[in-house]
Amino acid sequence: MIAYVLRRIASLVVVMALVAMAVFLLLRLAPGDPTAIIAGDNATPVQIASVRARLGLDDPLPQQFYRWATALLSGDLGVSIFSNTPVAELIGQRIEPTLSLAFATLLFAVPVAVLLGILAAWSAGGVADRLAMAISVAGFSLPGFVVGYFLVYVFAIRLKWLPVQGYTPISQDVASWASHLILPALTLGLAFIALIARMTRTALLDVLAEDYIRTANAKGVSTLSLLLKHALRNAGVPIVTILGIGAAMLIGGVVVTETVFNIPGIGRLVVDAILKRDYPIIQGVILVASGVYVVINLLVDLSYTLIDPRIRS
Amino acid sequence: MGTTRRGFLQAGVATILGKPAMVAAQSSQPSRTRTLRAVMQGDLRSFDPIWTSASITSYHGAMIYDTLFGVNEDMKPQPQMVGKYGVSDDKLTWTFELRDGLRFSDGTDVTAADCVASMRRWAVRDGFGQHMFARVTDTAVKDAKTFTVVLREPYPLILDAFGKAGGPLLYIMRKKEAETDPMQQITAYVGSGPFVFNMQETKQGASYVYDRNQNYKPRSEPASAMAGGKMAKLDRIIWDNVADDQTAVAALQNGEIDFFELPPIDLVDQLEADKNIRVEVLNSTGQTIWARLNSLYPPFDNVKARQALLYLINQQDVLRAAIGNEKYYRTCGSYFGCGVPMENDENTQWFKEAPNKAKAKQLFQEAGYDGRPVIILQPTNFAVFNTAMQLLAQWLREIGVNAQLASSDWGSVISRRAVKEPPEKGGWHVFPAAILSEAASNLMGFVGHAATGANAWFGWPNNERHEQLRDKWAKSEPEGRLAIAKEIQKNAWDFVPHVYMGQYTRPSAWRANVRGVLHMRELMIPFWNIEKT
Repeated sequence: MIAYVLRRIASLVVVMALVAMAVFLLLRLAPGDPTAIIAGDNATPVQIASVRARLGLDDPLPQQFYRWATALLSGDLGVSIFSNTPVAELIGQRIEPTLSLAFATLLFAVPVAVLLGILAAWSAGGVADRLAMAISVAGFSLPGFVVGYFLVYVFAIRLKWLPVQGYTPISQDVASWASHLILPALTLGLAFIALIARMTRTALLDVLAEDYIRTANAKGVSTLSLLLKHALRNAGVPIVTILGIGAAMLIGGVVVTETVFNIPGIGRLVVDAILKRDYPIIQGVILVASGVYVVINLLVDLSYTLIDPRIRS
Repeated sequence: MGTTRRGFLQAGVATILGKPAMVAAQSSQPSRTRTLRAVMQGDLRSFDPIWTSASITSYHGAMIYDTLFGVNEDMKPQPQMVGKYGVSDDKLTWTFELRDGLRFSDGTDVTAADCVASMRRWAVRDGFGQHMFARVTDTAVKDAKTFTVVLREPYPLILDAFGKAGGPLLYIMRKKEAETDPMQQITAYVGSGPFVFNMQETKQGASYVYDRNQNYKPRSEPASAMAGGKMAKLDRIIWDNVADDQTAVAALQNGEIDFFELPPIDLVDQLEADKNIRVEVLNSTGQTIWARLNSLYPPFDNVKARQALLYLINQQDVLRAAIGNEKYYRTCGSYFGCGVPMENDENTQWFKEAPNKAKAKQLFQEAGYDGRPVIILQPTNFAVFNTAMQLLAQWLREIGVNAQLASSDWGSVISRRAVKEPPEKGGWHVFPAAILSEAASNLMGFVGHAATGANAWFGWPNNERHEQLRDKWAKSEPEGRLAIAKEIQKNAWDFVPHVYMGQYTRPSAWRANVRGVLHMRELMIPFWNIEKT
């Protein structure tokens, strides 16, 4: 087990290195750079060239990459070209809203989705199953911003129960922090419920057809115990997989929801940076996000061993 | 003695009653009634208003810095930080003395040395400053409050330059910040203006906080645009970066924000119907949509091809598609824009005839157009430009021109428009811009007016007569400028450095309890003078 974990950590380093190279190259090869934006409308060609030289953008690509990579190895993600703020500081400022939104979404979506999936599988073909799957289809089909605007209209503007937008740090006011997360979590959660409920239903249906389930039923095991203790645990691997993918996506930043609800998270940070070609921010955020994906994948793989003892061996 | 139920309850009540006092003592945030939350036109990405000409950074500059002169609502420069000033009889030496009691937000005095250093840094980056400083032989500090500007020839526009309200403005910084290389950003923001930038409370990308500057000494006159008394009547101004317009509208209606600089035109009706919200145009002359032409390569290296576009463009159609609400747009044939002092109708026969596709087609043929692709840069993330360029491309195709749209984001357009290579090698033929009508009416205020060929703004038009007339305009007294402007326009619509696609304004919206919002014919929102009832 330890050897397995160490191998996975080693692969994390390789993956991060490949991501770093890919992101660096893609940015440099894409049209446009920040020079013209920085130099401004009144800049002469000499001034534009001077800005490009000062930013090191006219150096050969391997040299630029070496400079960035060596700084990275010492933990320096660089400084925003436009705001002069360290990238690590910007990510640090934005990570709390993103993590809060991810936490709130999963807190809401996972129990609802799993229950919905269980219900659908247990009553397969019945009314409850069709209702659950209809909700699932709606969750997939409705664009996030439509759901968001609708929730804002009903709960913020008409009922005035919740705020329209914004984010309050948890350290400032817990109640305000929570109230600002409800609507965005509901918006994002709908899509996750759709995904997780379907996966739960499918995985459970496979398990419920197994002989040991029929045996447990014949032995008089209660429905609840049958579903939760016998069936769900055996269906856990694909469900945990999709949960891991979903969590990684949330932490990577969900731009549309962050934009609709004005949550200053990682997603908006990187989109803003892309539009103005702020290379250090783009590189830093993508690197951090890819690291998060890899770590979460590792945790998901390790969780399999907890769910299914056969995998442990 | 043990705790009794009554004692326990009494302790609990005391705790509850005592709590608000403790909270008040801990709170350093101004109350909601003393705070204004605003959603501005974009995110504040840079805090150096000299390093970048971005409008939002100019607004930021106006919050924390003051200027030597400021334009009033008639766009006339008035002394602001300057108390007394004068010019020598030969009009070559200007002397400026600062008002008493001017201090930076850190409590230090504003001195003449700060002003001279700020002026020099600004002049490197600003087109107006560059033009002026080409005629400056010396700037000297005479004493703590007095400095001079010595010229090699009279320059009547000096006060207009000092008081310009389009970015970069001549903001007065401390000498140590002002001595920063103009191509690099300053890192400290100690200002001379009515507000202090609260870096501690600011969260980049989310919210930017300004607190009233206790050390600021406003003038005694009433506020008028960038002139007069800049009284900060609120304790705190917060700029919230709300990227989604619909969300900002909802937040305004819900009272979560107090001011929205540029609500989308299609949602203005909704805001106008809300009795808790006021909707007004603050900049009555607005902006003009330019289609800038590349004069280096065919077909637009030929004047007839450029003239063809004057007859091709239907401004009414562009504005109807791009803006929609006719309350907020007008067509205009003046080179200087409409509703501005230099507006005139010299050489505007094309405007009266347009659209005239037959004439446009004929002119293109006379230009010897050979069917090559005409590359039009189309920024898809700017709705007005996106629409205008699509219409232009379609009209060109209708007269037989092989128009091709190069779709991208605005950042790519900015990068590509600087490329001087042939269009088929990464260059371009046409790109859009929106120029403030006040800037367009000032031949020195906007770099796009120069026709100096390779040294001109993107498009690189070259016309000696235009430059001679510009120079003449710059040297003339105010009362003589309109006559020169007519000559300039007559010549400009002959050699056609760019074409106009319509003039438009955008209203701002704010809560009805917000008072004192200043009107200004520039892209600037002054937050002094504003209060909440």
